[in-house]
Amino acid sequence: MIMLYTELEEKYTSLQNKLDPELQKLLGEWKQLQEKYGKEVFEYTVRGKVIRQDMATTSLSGTSIKKVMLPKYNDWGDILRWQLQENVPGSFPYTAGVFELKRQGEDPTRMFAGEGGPERTNKRFHYVSAGQQAKRLSTAFDSVTLYGQDPAYRPDIYGKIGNAGVSIATLDDAKKLYSGFDLCDPHTSVSMTINGPAPIILAFYMNAAIDQLCEKWIKEHKQEHKAASRKKEKFSGNEIPFYNDTTSPDIIPTGNDQLGLALLGISGEEVVPPGIYEQLKASALQQVRGTVQADILKEDQAQNTCIFSTEFALKLMGDVQEYFIRNSVKNFYSVSISGYHIAEAGANPITQLAFTLANGFTYVEYYLSRGMHIDDFAPNLSFFFSNGMDPEYSVIGRVARRIWAKVMKHKYNGNERSQKLKYHIQTSGRSLHAQEIDFNDIRTTLQALYAIYDNCNSLHTNAYDEAITTPTEESVRRAMAIQLIINRELGTTQTENFMQGSFALEELTDLVEEAVLKEFDRISDRGGVLGAMERMYQRNKIQEESLHYEHLKHTGELPVIGVNTFLSSKGSPLITPGQVIRSTEAEKKQQIKNVLQFQKVNETKGKESLKTLKEVASQGGNIFAELMNTVKYCSLGQITHTLYEAGGQYRRNM
Amino acid sequence: MQSFAVLTHISANFKGELPFMNKQNAPRIRIVTAASLFDGHDAAINIMRRLLQQKGAEVIHLGHNRSVHEIVECAIEEDAHAVAVTSYQGGHMEFFRYMKDLLQESGCGHIKIFGGGGGTILPHEAETLHQYGINRIYSPDDGRKMGLEGMIQDVITQCTDTRNYDEAINKWGDALPLNELKDIRVVARAISLAENGDIYDTLLQKLQRGRQEAIIPVVGITGTGGAGKSSVTDELVRRYLQAFPAKTIAVISVDPSKRKTGGALLGDRIRMNAVSNSRVYMRSLATREDNTSVSKSAKAAIDICKKAGYDCIILETAGTGQSDVSITEYSDICMYVMTPEYGAASQLEKINMLDYADIIAINKADKPGADDALNDVRKQYKRNHQLFSATPEQLPVISMCANKFNDAGVNSLFQLLLETIKNRLQLPWLHEAETFNNMLQQPQKNETIIPADRVRYLSEISKCVRDYNSWVTEQSKTASQLYQLNGAIEILKNK
Repeated sequence: MIMLYTELEEKYTSLQNKLDPELQKLLGEWKQLQEKYGKEVFEYTVRGKVIRQDMATTSLSGTSIKKVMLPKYNDWGDILRWQLQENVPGSFPYTAGVFELKRQGEDPTRMFAGEGGPERTNKRFHYVSAGQQAKRLSTAFDSVTLYGQDPAYRPDIYGKIGNAGVSIATLDDAKKLYSGFDLCDPHTSVSMTINGPAPIILAFYMNAAIDQLCEKWIKEHKQEHKAASRKKEKFSGNEIPFYNDTTSPDIIPTGNDQLGLALLGISGEEVVPPGIYEQLKASALQQVRGTVQADILKEDQAQNTCIFSTEFALKLMGDVQEYFIRNSVKNFYSVSISGYHIAEAGANPITQLAFTLANGFTYVEYYLSRGMHIDDFAPNLSFFFSNGMDPEYSVIGRVARRIWAKVMKHKYNGNERSQKLKYHIQTSGRSLHAQEIDFNDIRTTLQALYAIYDNCNSLHTNAYDEAITTPTEESVRRAMAIQLIINRELGTTQTENFMQGSFALEELTDLVEEAVLKEFDRISDRGGVLGAMERMYQRNKIQEESLHYEHLKHTGELPVIGVNTFLSSKGSPLITPGQVIRSTEAEKKQQIKNVLQFQKVNETKGKESLKTLKEVASQGGNIFAELMNTVKYCSLGQITHTLYEAGGQYRRNM
Repeated sequence: MQSFAVLTHISANFKGELPFMNKQNAPRIRIVTAASLFDGHDAAINIMRRLLQQKGAEVIHLGHNRSVHEIVECAIEEDAHAVAVTSYQGGHMEFFRYMKDLLQESGCGHIKIFGGGGGTILPHEAETLHQYGINRIYSPDDGRKMGLEGMIQDVITQCTDTRNYDEAINKWGDALPLNELKDIRVVARAISLAENGDIYDTLLQKLQRGRQEAIIPVVGITGTGGAGKSSVTDELVRRYLQAFPAKTIAVISVDPSKRKTGGALLGDRIRMNAVSNSRVYMRSLATREDNTSVSKSAKAAIDICKKAGYDCIILETAGTGQSDVSITEYSDICMYVMTPEYGAASQLEKINMLDYADIIAINKADKPGADDALNDVRKQYKRNHQLFSATPEQLPVISMCANKFNDAGVNSLFQLLLETIKNRLQLPWLHEAETFNNMLQQPQKNETIIPADRVRYLSEISKCVRDYNSWVTEQSKTASQLYQLNGAIEILKNK
């Protein structure tokens, strides 16, 4: 007996040496973890601030339900595996989420708008965000802007001004668009859906924020007369730019306190003393919060709003990131690495995830090759996925977070902040149908549930009529209600890791992870993401998967309720919209008039600025740093054309 | 979002190959396809252009985001019977009307317009456009009723009525269309006549002879499929336009016809950014019955462009095999475009063009093995031309990346081309390029996005995750064993 006992002890000690000391420590901490999550109240720190949160909720029946549940494993191997592959939210590998607990008082909802001129969209922003403390705005631009051009009378341009998005051609437009929102307030967060000309639009945005601080300084120091005389001098004989909602002239929308409008037509730089201007600029850059999509790889693979040669577009992205590092822009995502458009173009969820993560790692490799440090830029990267109906969508966030964390930690030696992948979800537009459109909300609800169970950081739910037209206020309200009902009414979402521990979910996570790795290998064999793009690998794969889906839908093998089965007695006909919201003639004309006047007033300074921009570009300097100056005197179209000469236009592929 | 509903419908009906009309008697219908300006939705038009081609049409595909001017200029230069354009981004009323107006103003109202935009084009809007002279806007409802094939057949059937097309010639006056420097309508139609074996000389009398150069160089660009000939051509044209601000150029580009259907996908224009210019004429030719890389009609096309007074002509062939040297019959100067991916060095011995090309361009020099390729090709060139004492720099072999903007290699290629033309043909006006060439002398900073030694980053990443996973499996197995031992020890301890 004693002999056996000694033998066992010896075996135990020798095995113990095989177990990584870090892991021994991790196992040792399991008890503490159980105690921590067994408590009623939870304390944690965010940027030095201690936050207390309840760890349990009580149901109407009086059941106390923990927000985070731990497994009841006894075997150390099971516990260890769980800690290394799952773990609690907020701990490596962040499979269940990147934050310990969900943020209180801020729903992940974004207020989406974009139509007509900047005034109309501004009005809508104020309408949809009224009464909310957190102003989370999301901007859609019209196609003229998306392709980097100015509004014009040429008919093929004219018809598109302010349709399906807002028309933004100058810094003044951007100032109007976000007027009345304090862009340097931590409760304001702005997302901009733009890619090709993203650096230019971003420079508009940053300047709008800087000029808001200048405006505050001017008022504080009673320098309004200076601004007025500068305007008078600059606009002698011309109309000084002003906020003009053509549908209701002279009226500023409710909620707009006019912050941002005092410096229309001029830059803060023209009024505020140089030293002060630099200070205000630095301060604004450190405070702004938001996201610019700016993901050029997925544009080339799926969405086609490329305007510059791919290489030059990537260089511009690198310049933006480098500028962010130099100027401590820490709360703004320089890119939203997007799978959404890849999925909308027809890719299945695995391909969506694999292509998107691969694109993300491509940016990482490029930025590293430019000498940036991983921890300086990784926290500026964010992700954007689509959630459809397929089973893999239930784990898309889990797999993305887990792969990213493992790679950041073990391959790139990134710190904890770099290891945390944050992402936005939009429910799948492609899964909405133009037949039985009432059923679309049901699909959106299920997809939103996937997303919320998966702890997405931000969520947009589509309106049920988006398959046929621009959503109305009524349909948008219903879409918002979907999120609110899941978040606030559905009892199971009060538990923040409700799905953890499901055999099926764990298995699915492993399967999808391995499938993604296999796709990485295939892309790697084709020379990495850029090499594969040259062979049109991504495009072809997306197209094939799209046809596969359409084929199954057509044959009925893939049931779609109200579309290919369960048809109504009338055969569930296609619904066509009665009317579509379009921009007005007055809005279009105003946008053209404004951009022409902007160019005229800034003619001399504009020419010089474009020349400098071109020089900086041809000498390999940081183009975004220069754009921060250029946009004060040049319009979007002028800048785009100058950059064509410096970096080349996009070349289409067959 | 609207686009998807329509596309869904289109592709649902698409089940692969279609029955074809009798190709022998089918007229050569030429159709320009594109997606409208600021519109990236190209999935629908891509399916359409494939079907049009399968139905025997010659399709000149422009891709997405094309302005009315670009489409109209292309349609006229290509002497197309019709244009088919999708518009999903709004502004379709203005877009289609402007297209009709511009064609009409240019004396080309005979070119038919077909369009679609799913639910974004409302039924009453489609009706208005029909009344304006747009031949047909196809709606999602048409898609349901006619099916995809029915819609395509409708386009083809309408195009076979060529009465207006034939009569257009008689209406062309002296005013040049689209502010072009030559009458591109006449050039285009003359080439079509030549292609069909008809007499074109009478038509050419309509050309207002400008000052014509005594010698007009014809540069032939040939090479394997996928080597990047179109990109190289586009980059050369771009530099030419900058170097010679008053000169014109014509580009004739050949793509193969499909023997089975008689249709052809003329896809060179989609890669071109520089050709939409009043000083450039571009024409795509299908090889038609010929089984070569150059169309039989290329000679006539060159002749017509010369008579029209273009100062320089580029002839780009379809992709060639190792033995094909047909380009030499057509051009004064031949350029062979290849990539580093030709296999073993011995393969080079089989490439006939390495004997005949005046210039050899190795494109995609950022690919692995590019340095070896440059060396191998130089060696082969030396052997072929018995130039054993030449230094590598003296050989007309250039390594470059046509997909890089302002690539130093392409700059050298352009200079070498001008030099070669100058030596061969003694053109007096070539010195005009000197200022431009000096500008090119500035050192170029050619950056790479992913350094060569990092290209396998994704393999490293998947290995990293897999290594982590096996480590977890192995370590948790150990932890389990420890747990079991510990349990046993505890039991024994308590005995």
